[in-house]
Amino acid sequence: MLRQIRISMLIFLLLLAACGGSDEDDGAANAEGAPFRVAIVMPSSTTDIAWSQSMYDSLTTVQSEMGGEDALKIAFSEGMFRVTDASAAIRDYAAEGYDLVIAHGAQYGNSVFEVASDFTETSFAWGTSSDTGADRGIENVFAYGAVANEGGYVNGVVAAMLSTNDVIGVIGPVAGDAKLYIDGFVRGVTDVKPDAQVNVSYTGSFSDTTLAAEAAHVHIQAGADVLTGSAQQVVGAIGVANENGVAWLGTQSDQISLGPNVVVTNQIYNWANVISDMIAKIETGELGGTAYKLTFENDGLRLEFNENIEIADEVKEAARAAIEDIKSGVVDPVLLEEDDE
Amino acid sequence: MFDELFTISTLVGILHSCVRLATPYLFASLGETFGQRSGVLNLGVDGIMLMGAFFAFYVVFEGHNLWVGLLAAIAVGILMGLLKAFVSVTMQSLQGISGIGLYLFGLGLSSLLFKTLIGSVEGVSGFRQLAIPFLSDIPGIGHILFNHNALVYLAYLMVPVSWFVINRTTLGLKIRAVGHNPEAADTLGVSVNGVRYTTMMIGGALAAVAGASLSIGLQNVFQENMTNGLGFIAVALVYFGSWRTVGVLGGSLLFSLVNALQLWVQALAIPVPSEIAVMMPYIMTIVVLAFTARQIQKPAALARSYERGE
Amino acid sequence: MLTGRRRIEDQFVYGIARPTGGHRAVNFRLNAPYVQMYGIVKRFPGVLACDHVDFDVRRGELHALLGENGAGKSTLMRILYGLYQPEEGRILRDGAEVTIHSPTDAIRQGIGMIHQHFMLVDTLTVTENVALGLKSSREPLLDLDRVEAGIRELSEAYGLQIDPRAPVWTLSVGERQRVEIMKALYRGAAMLILDEPTAVLTPQEVEELFVTLGYMKENGYSLVLISHKLQEILSISDRITVLRSGRLVGTVPTKDMTRQELARMMVGRDVMLERDRDDEIDVGEVRLRLEDVKAVDVTGQPALRGVSLSVQGGEILGVAGISGNGQRELAEVIAGLRPMTGGSVEMDGTPITDWSTARRTEAGLAYIPEERMHDGIVRDFAVSENLVLQEHTSDKFSHGIFLAFDYIARYSRQLVQDFYIKTPDIRTMTRNLSGGNIQRLILARELSRRPKVLVAAQPTRGIDIGAIEYIYQQLLEQRDTGMATLLISEDLDELLALCDRIAVIYEGQIMDVLERDKTSAEELGLLMAGVHPERQ
Repeated sequence: MLRQIRISMLIFLLLLAACGGSDEDDGAANAEGAPFRVAIVMPSSTTDIAWSQSMYDSLTTVQSEMGGEDALKIAFSEGMFRVTDASAAIRDYAAEGYDLVIAHGAQYGNSVFEVASDFTETSFAWGTSSDTGADRGIENVFAYGAVANEGGYVNGVVAAMLSTNDVIGVIGPVAGDAKLYIDGFVRGVTDVKPDAQVNVSYTGSFSDTTLAAEAAHVHIQAGADVLTGSAQQVVGAIGVANENGVAWLGTQSDQISLGPNVVVTNQIYNWANVISDMIAKIETGELGGTAYKLTFENDGLRLEFNENIEIADEVKEAARAAIEDIKSGVVDPVLLEEDDE
Repeated sequence: MFDELFTISTLVGILHSCVRLATPYLFASLGETFGQRSGVLNLGVDGIMLMGAFFAFYVVFEGHNLWVGLLAAIAVGILMGLLKAFVSVTMQSLQGISGIGLYLFGLGLSSLLFKTLIGSVEGVSGFRQLAIPFLSDIPGIGHILFNHNALVYLAYLMVPVSWFVINRTTLGLKIRAVGHNPEAADTLGVSVNGVRYTTMMIGGALAAVAGASLSIGLQNVFQENMTNGLGFIAVALVYFGSWRTVGVLGGSLLFSLVNALQLWVQALAIPVPSEIAVMMPYIMTIVVLAFTARQIQKPAALARSYERGE
Repeated sequence: MLTGRRRIEDQFVYGIARPTGGHRAVNFRLNAPYVQMYGIVKRFPGVLACDHVDFDVRRGELHALLGENGAGKSTLMRILYGLYQPEEGRILRDGAEVTIHSPTDAIRQGIGMIHQHFMLVDTLTVTENVALGLKSSREPLLDLDRVEAGIRELSEAYGLQIDPRAPVWTLSVGERQRVEIMKALYRGAAMLILDEPTAVLTPQEVEELFVTLGYMKENGYSLVLISHKLQEILSISDRITVLRSGRLVGTVPTKDMTRQELARMMVGRDVMLERDRDDEIDVGEVRLRLEDVKAVDVTGQPALRGVSLSVQGGEILGVAGISGNGQRELAEVIAGLRPMTGGSVEMDGTPITDWSTARRTEAGLAYIPEERMHDGIVRDFAVSENLVLQEHTSDKFSHGIFLAFDYIARYSRQLVQDFYIKTPDIRTMTRNLSGGNIQRLILARELSRRPKVLVAAQPTRGIDIGAIEYIYQQLLEQRDTGMATLLISEDLDELLALCDRIAVIYEGQIMDVLERDKTSAEELGLLMAGVHPERQ
């Protein structure tokens, strides 16, 4: 038995050595002029080129705007797909005295409110949601979300114009999730080409890159010449699109690096304004209560074209026109609903 | 509405998907078969796959030849196999626990290396589709079987090769004996630990190639935890296949077929709720396991370390 | 069989792991020493297992190695087979000194060993078991066809009938033993050490084994037979070496010896193993009666299919049979340890079918279980604790809920003395006692209660001859006081020596019940194999 314990210890030590790279920062004092400390708990990794990375990239942007690590300290826990793990991490950060703890996942709701009512001096943020818990008397929780159907709609317009087969494939994670994006996308396609066929398939997972890659193969074989998809699993699908020279429309983060020749557009979530606003509010003593939404209007959503490839001007023009229509309210890409990633 | 599913082109597409999807499962579960037949349960397959996937990707990303990438994966896989063998065979740690440890080690180390050496998700140009001349022109079958990348062919080639090694070579005889009655093998001068080290290295190499088949074959990217537990399913497939290579082949194909089927059902907008479609592979697996619960071939010394007694 | 036999020169063609030296038995001189051991000393912590022992085996000789448990015979042979290293002494093969560090070395010197527990891989075929660990003629590929051909020839030459393609799990115990012998022959062994080879065989299989050993002897093989069965040794061996307490008592030609003389050499004094044939005893009332008893084994398969037996007071009824034919279940059913699925058990005319084990014990049933280390004692209890295990709640041994330690101690010392239990102290952990002494302990506990009925399952298996003699004496004494004894044993000599009647059990049924004086080992052997001469 002793031997087993010894070996378990050995493996454990090896693991510690392997995982010790996280940017934890304990010793910061809360003195005058001390940096603002923000912690984030997220379901996948900071490099998922999707949901989690969009937040992490925005945080680092804010950090450099504020003047680097001396002004803003960032700690993060990634890969917290299990709510119990995330819940423990949220509580730890609160106990360690972080100024703002961001729970970056719809599934973390209960945990956030539970911890927030124990640490009323700490500010929390919960995405994706519009619920700040105000009706339950909680005052230290911000809520945030993206109106992803807006970008979905624009990507749909682009897809319809790029497609020559009029068959377009969509790779979703778990049914119901990413619904806003996909609904907006379908609406965008059909507004341009009412007869075009949009095939939607779900892998049943956020992280099954193998199945997402195969789903891309399937869509291509079924005739699709434009693909899009959501969640961190899409890296596999983009690889396949790249290999087959099929256009890919990205969402959440910048995905051009994966398919330099096939990624046409990206809808990018820019949380920087939201974060800056939260920090400003916290410093004036307002610890929560606001629900933020990313839209094209408030520059939370951006549509970026891949500069490396040639895109017909009429496509770019149609996309810009669609964005303007959304901003001005001429187009309402499906009803605004809650709970999208 | 189901008519669409039964058109020739769809059926060909489903089988083509199935053949390709089975690739990583085949490599990993054939490797695991070697280990289990020699009496070592390695639950760390997924960790080795991640390490193999990372190193293959990294070497190719750095501009080297794909085959060099594959060799790098094999080398790392052998090292991981040696580590597993050292912990489970020499130190005689509980095999289940040390396997989980190896998995976590591979998961953690591959993520760390990825963050420090690459930093963001990138793409590479992996093994390309390689249509075999003439054979791929056969209608239907040609596309299903002979229009894949080199690693897919290699995976299927490993089935008869593994069968041959296990059943027709002296090493294979030793593996089977050591997995079933290590004491008997020991009295005949067979080095029990030597055989188990060998199978761990073979298993490690194959698991690493399974990982490489994802990162430089089927997806051409590397992402943290990109195997998504595939290695654990590979271990289950070994039980599923009753420790026989042909059983492992059947299990891998069946599991992949149902996966391919659900993707096609959804892509063709056949009105089956996607929740049901996603569950199909698992339901199928349980059903088949229930009907194939034969354990005749199970190595009697599986997961038991061997110490020479008097 | 004889026609197919070949001379020894041809046999070794198939031995791939051929020794480098000239052991090949080509041009052997019969009676020349093959292996000689001189002055072998081996110590284990606290024990001198071999104390300057000399031993030699000639070519074409069957040499029996005899001794009580712990006499050092197994240790001596394990040294020769490379499993132990001696502290002192020399080993010569064909007159030249050799060092044997491992079984692999031993095989290289032409020495093979057949263990009591077979070292076979069940899932592999006979041929694969033989080929395992050998260099193939076309490495790295197997050459099973060649091995199979070799097996067939050896098999014909020595009457070792085995199907080379059969998986080992389908084989009987006797066939498995043949595979073990085949493994050694194929590896080019010129000498075989057989450790208690007949313990697990039916009388017919013993016969076949002896025929094979005879052929091997003729072809110049040296054979060492470790055994404690005197009759067997006397009938087959050429010379006998007797060891006692690690020392050599002597090496004698078999033809000069009798059972009594051998037993005296082994134990160091006269031994009474034969029952006095004259003592006619009075058989009393039926004390134990079984009617159509049915029970299932651990896997739920029927193990007893309607057993009816009755044992009278002052009688020993033997139950003969090959292991695994329901003996274990029979004993457990009577002891109340296994539920019955049908039938009834009576003791002194009272039905006890539904009684618990404790109630049966109280009513006068004593039980000596087959697995004495597991079922007979608590290994980590002191000797005295085990001695009062069953009756510790009786008024004798306790005051209310407290144990009467003084009385238990006195009582235990008395039993240790009366039953000759060799133990340093009554507080010694029982696990540290030898098998024979543990059996004496169980016997003391059970018999001191003056039981009416005794069920003894394999009471002498694996214990030394001195203890066996003592157990026989006790069983006979108790019988004379009117106890009814059911003696379950696989040792026919034992049954024939002790019992008044012998029942033969086969596949959960009683084949027949025979008077001791009117039957023979041969007749019992056939019944044990399921052959009923009169019913054919």
